[in-house]
Amino acid sequence: MVTFEKHKLSNGLTVLAHYDNTTPMVTTNILYRTGAKDEDAEATGFAHLFEHLMFEGSVNIPVFDTPVILAGGENNAFTTNDITNYYITLPADNIETAFWLESDRMLGLDLAEGKLETQKRVVIEEYRQRYLNQPYGDLFLLLRPLAYKVHPYMWPTIGKDISHIERADHKAVERFFNDNYVPGNAILSVGGNVTPERVFSLAEKWFAQVTAGAKNKKSIIQEPIQRERRELTVYRDVPADELVMVFHTGRRNDRDFYILDLLTDVLAGCESGRFPTTLVREKELFSEVDCYLTGDEDPGLVIISGRLKNDIDIEKAEKAIWEELNLLCTTQITDFELEKSRNRYESHHLMAMISASNKAFNLAFHEHLGDAGNINSESDKYMSVTKDEVTDTAQRTFRSDNCSVIRYMAKRK
Amino acid sequence: MNTLNRITQPATVTPTVGSIPEPEKVLLDGGVPVWLLGSGSEDLLRIEFVFEAGQVRERQHLTASLVNEMLTEGTLLYDAVTLNNIIDHTGAVFTPVVDKDNAGLVVITLSRTLDKVLELAAEVLFNPSFPENEFRMLIERRIQRFLTSRQKTSVVSRELFYNALFGNAPYGRITTPDDFAVINTSLLQEFHKEFYNTGNLYITVAGKDPHRAIPSLNRYFSSSGNCRTGEPFTEQSKQVIQKREYFAEMPDAVQSSIRIGWKGVCKSHPDFAPLQVANTILGGYFGSRLMKNIREDKGFTYSIGSLAGSLKYAGFITIVTEVANEYRVQTLNEINKEIDKLRQSTVPENELVMVRNQIMGDMARAFDGPFAVAEYLRGVLDHGLTLGYYRIFEETVKTITSDKIKELFNTYFITDESIEVIAGPR
Repeated sequence: MVTFEKHKLSNGLTVLAHYDNTTPMVTTNILYRTGAKDEDAEATGFAHLFEHLMFEGSVNIPVFDTPVILAGGENNAFTTNDITNYYITLPADNIETAFWLESDRMLGLDLAEGKLETQKRVVIEEYRQRYLNQPYGDLFLLLRPLAYKVHPYMWPTIGKDISHIERADHKAVERFFNDNYVPGNAILSVGGNVTPERVFSLAEKWFAQVTAGAKNKKSIIQEPIQRERRELTVYRDVPADELVMVFHTGRRNDRDFYILDLLTDVLAGCESGRFPTTLVREKELFSEVDCYLTGDEDPGLVIISGRLKNDIDIEKAEKAIWEELNLLCTTQITDFELEKSRNRYESHHLMAMISASNKAFNLAFHEHLGDAGNINSESDKYMSVTKDEVTDTAQRTFRSDNCSVIRYMAKRK
Repeated sequence: MNTLNRITQPATVTPTVGSIPEPEKVLLDGGVPVWLLGSGSEDLLRIEFVFEAGQVRERQHLTASLVNEMLTEGTLLYDAVTLNNIIDHTGAVFTPVVDKDNAGLVVITLSRTLDKVLELAAEVLFNPSFPENEFRMLIERRIQRFLTSRQKTSVVSRELFYNALFGNAPYGRITTPDDFAVINTSLLQEFHKEFYNTGNLYITVAGKDPHRAIPSLNRYFSSSGNCRTGEPFTEQSKQVIQKREYFAEMPDAVQSSIRIGWKGVCKSHPDFAPLQVANTILGGYFGSRLMKNIREDKGFTYSIGSLAGSLKYAGFITIVTEVANEYRVQTLNEINKEIDKLRQSTVPENELVMVRNQIMGDMARAFDGPFAVAEYLRGVLDHGLTLGYYRIFEETVKTITSDKIKELFNTYFITDESIEVIAGPR
C-alpha cells in the first residue's frame, strides 16, 4: 500500500506527496504530459531534444547541475512517446533546492548562445550510438511506421528523420515550451522523508508564481483498426536473422493490459515460459524469443521478437510462433502457469516498490493515466485475471489481420 | 510573494555519507561466513552466494562463464525444464552472476518461500549435471552472441584495451572462435568441482530480518568443502607494456569507440581512495572536465566518462567514449589536453567542493536501502576490507588537497605512456 496525499495549485499544477521516514533521501519527480506523440509530424524528435535543453539554463539559473551536486543530489530525465519525466534525488534536508530548480525551469528557459546547436549535435550522436552503430539497432525505426499508419506512435522518440533535429531553431523551441511546459500539463510527485504538509507549502512557495498559461495540445488521431497482415523484409549486415511480430492491443488503462501482462509472462516472462521451452529448447528454432507489451497511454502493441538459429527457415519459425499463439486461443492456460505468474508478479511488484523514488514516479504516472490511487489496485487487477479472460484476449489479439511482421535478414555473404 | 529570491540557491546542508550499516557476521555450522544486513520494510530478502570462481581462475578461456550459465541447465535431481519450472513457480528471481574475479548466484525471494528457495539454490550451485545437449545449445547461443558483439565498436575496443593491459592472462584474454571449439563439459565439471564448494564461499543476506535465513542456510550450506589454494593466473599482468597504440578496423561503423588508459591500483592500496577523487574530476560525473569539454561544449559525443577501477589482483584506469568518426582526432587531442591541464595546474577550490559533494551524495544514496548496501559490501569483502573502508574513503574525500590531486595525475595519468585503442573505420 502506497500512502499519499494530493493537492492542486490554482495555476493547475497537481502535487502528490508520499511520506517515507525510513530513508534519509527524497525524490522530486515532475512529469510533463508531453511526449513524442504530441509532436508535429514535420518536427519529430522535439520532445526529446527539449528534454536535453531543460538542463541548459533557466530564467534565473544558468547551470542546472551545479546546485544539484552541491546539495548532494543526482538528477536525470527520460522521454517516451507519451511523457517527459524529470527527477532529482537528494538528501531530504536539501529538498528546497529541487523546488527552486524545477520551478525556475517551468518559469522559462534561458539558453545561452550556442547551447541549442551543441545539444542538437549531442542528440545526433545519441541517434548514431543507439540506432545506427548497433547491430539490429534500426529495428524499431522500421517497426513503428509499419504498425502505425496514422497515430504519431509511428515515430520513435529520437525522431522520424534526424533532419528534423538539424532544422530545429530557437523559435520552434520557444513555441514548444509555451505549448507544453505549463503547470496544468505537469504532475509533481514527491516521495521520501518530507511530510506532505511541507511538500505542499514548498509547492505553493515556489510554483504558485508560474502563470497557468494555456495548454496547446494538438488532438491525436487514433489508429484505425488494422484489416490485413503487413510484412516488411530487410537485409542487413548482422550474424543472424531476426523475426519480429507485433499486434495491436488496448490502452495501459484497459482491463486487457493486465490480462496481456499475465499472458506475455506465460509465454516468455521467464526461462520456463512457453517460448523458451518449446521454441528454444524443444524445437531449436530460436536462440532466444521475447514477448512483451508496450503499455502505452493510447492503444499499444504486443511485441514478439526472436533471434533465429542458423539455417532455420524464417517461415518455419513464424509458423511455430503461430502454433503457440493458436494454442493460447483454443486451450486454457494451466493452473500451474496461472499460479506461477501470480507468484512472480507478487515478488516483482514488491521489488519495484522498494525505493521511494520509484513510488514517486509511479504515483505521477498513474495520476497522468487518470488517478494516482490506482497504484494500489494494480495487484488486485493482476491477481483477478482468469484463465477464460486469457483465452478471450488471445483470440481477439492474435489474428493474422492484426499482425505486422518484420523479417530482419542477415545478408548472406 | 514577489520577494522570493530565485537568484541564489536555498540554504543547503553539506551532504555526508550518514550512518554506514554494520553487517553482522555469522558462521554456518560448516564454517561458511554469512554477512547479515538488516533493514528495509518490504517482505523480501536478497541472498548472494559468492565463490572465487571467476575468469581469474580459468585455465581455458570461457570456462568460468559457461559453468555459471550451466548451473540452471539441469542438476542431479532435475532436468532443465523441470528445474526452471520449479524455480519460477516460487516467484523468486535467480540470477547467476560471473565476473573477472568471482562467480555465484543472487536470489531475491519472498520470506514465505525462503526454505524452498535456498534448497533450490544449493541444488543449483552444488549439483549441476552439465548435460551435453543443453551444453551444445548454450554454445550455439554463445557463438551467435559472440558474432553479434564483434560488430559493436565498444566491445571490440574494450577487449583490445584489457588485452593490452593484462596480456593473455585471464583478465586480458580476447575471445576467438577457437575457444568455443576447445571447451567441453569435462573442463566445466573439473572447474566446478574445484571452485564451487563451501570452502571457497561466502554469503550475504540483506533485507528485513535477515536472521530468518540462517536455519535454512545451515541446513543446505553446512557441508564442508575444500578450500582452493594457490595463486590465480595473473602473472602476466605484471608484464611491461610494449605497445601503446591499437587500432581495430571496423569499416561500416558510423562512430568510433575510443579507449585510453593505464594500469592503476587495487582497492586496498592507499592511493585508491584519492584516485577516485581525481578520476571524478576528470571524467567521473556529468560535470566532469571531459563531459564539459567534449559533450557540453563541442558536442562530439553523447557521452564520455572515465573510471579508476579495481579487480581483485590488479587496478586500471580507463577513459571511454563513442564519437563521430570525423571528430576522432580532435577528441583524442582534447582528452590529452584535459589531462595535461590537471597535471600542470591545481584544481580550483570551488571545483573541488563540487566533486566532494558529488561523491558524498553518491555514497549517501548508495547506502540507502539494504540491497544497495549488499552490493557495496561485496565490493569491499573481495579486497579483504570491511564497510569501515567507506569511513576512510569519506575522510579522504573531505580532506584531500588540490596538490595531492595534481600529484596523482602526475603519477597515474601520464599521457605519453597511455594505451590508446580505437575501433572504427580506417
